[in-house]
Amino acid sequence: MTTAVELTDEALLAKMIAGDEEAFTALYRRRHPSVYRFALRMSGNRALAEDVTQEVFFALIRHAKRFDPARGSFSAFLFGIARNHLHKRWELDKRLVPSGLGNEDMNGNGSRNGSGKTQFSMAIQMGTTSGNELSKEGSRSTIPGVPEEFVSQETVARVRTAVASLPENYREAVILCDLEEMSYEEAAQALECPVGTVRSRLHRGRAILLEKLDEAPFRYGASAVGE
Amino acid sequence: MAIDCAQFEEIVHELERAGTPGFDFREDAFAHAESCPRCASLLDKVMALESALDSLAVQDRSERAPAHVEAALLAEFRRQHAEAAYPRRNVRLTTTTALAMAAALILAIGITVPLWMKHKSNVTGSPVALVAPPNGSAGVASTDETAKGNSASSDFDYATDFVSLPYADDPRTLDGGTVVRVTLSRSALASFGLPVAGMGSSEQIPADIALSEDGVPQAIRLVADADLDPTN
Repeated sequence: MTTAVELTDEALLAKMIAGDEEAFTALYRRRHPSVYRFALRMSGNRALAEDVTQEVFFALIRHAKRFDPARGSFSAFLFGIARNHLHKRWELDKRLVPSGLGNEDMNGNGSRNGSGKTQFSMAIQMGTTSGNELSKEGSRSTIPGVPEEFVSQETVARVRTAVASLPENYREAVILCDLEEMSYEEAAQALECPVGTVRSRLHRGRAILLEKLDEAPFRYGASAVGE
Repeated sequence: MAIDCAQFEEIVHELERAGTPGFDFREDAFAHAESCPRCASLLDKVMALESALDSLAVQDRSERAPAHVEAALLAEFRRQHAEAAYPRRNVRLTTTTALAMAAALILAIGITVPLWMKHKSNVTGSPVALVAPPNGSAGVASTDETAKGNSASSDFDYATDFVSLPYADDPRTLDGGTVVRVTLSRSALASFGLPVAGMGSSEQIPADIALSEDGVPQAIRLVADADLDPTN
């Protein structure tokens, strides 16, 4: 007999619509971490990320039938909902943030995190995760000459800060395509834009990251994990 | 295929991304970088960035929403499906019934009152109000008392006290109004909870309706003497 964890998202969704609580739980446990991480990386705020995650799955419970597999993957559907909720929250928060605050990062790049927090504090919040120990599990780097285990904690922290300081459009593309490993097509569905737009945003976002990180070059070897 | 620096820059971020245009030309890009120091430097930086992003993704992989989020969602899921299984049909029926009753009553008044007024004016030549409220005021509570002392209604016996209609205002808030006599079907009266069983065999039974100043029916009572049915 097929267990819930072995079923596809679509199969679980169908069972969930029929009232199967186990299917909903399996679907939530499978998909919520990426939704939560997306919201956390976009906002830099754990409380907001929790709210958004909850809202995304509340919406799924109430409007599960709105998912149309012909229009994209289930994952992209959830990211799209998450993005909409983030925008709603930012619109709401903007009214509460005094003018001139919250719309620029500490580097004056004019990027928005929407929560009224600076991008620096975003990176700090993310940096206090329980997963600070670098893990080799799931590594997908195949680039010759740069073993992933030699990327220093300091470098990762700097990249985290740099990603958090990207303008919103570029940040979304980098988070979805690089950190959540979505294809251009899936990201385009989630971001409701053409594939070419995703490609150019990702390209531009990475170029900005390089500029930011170029100020102090990457270090390998001596500053590796466990130093 | 040989590529130039501009083409290299365009695809350098896609060399490790399968299914992209850059991935298809990665060997050409690596070959170009071997012959171009500037592009080789860019390739090194991009590879370092790739690796750092991978590390960041791995580091955050354990991020999860707290357990209370799942608990809240499960509670909502159960609530939604419990509601779907047991819809609030009774409430909807009650509301629908009340609205239907109100509509029926208003329709009945709309038909009966003009007929009765026409009949009355033909008989007495006097207009309108059956029961004039004392001092221009007719609260539901006082209507019953005053009606008995009123010449136009003194001949009637009232089988019941006024019964508030389902959507009626608080009778105590009524400052003025009118009592009009109508005839209603037995079933319509029964739907208001009035005891029509002892009201003879006629399908049409006379009743008094207390109207508020704005003409909205507020209460109803049966009139015992069917012979005095104004529509007869």
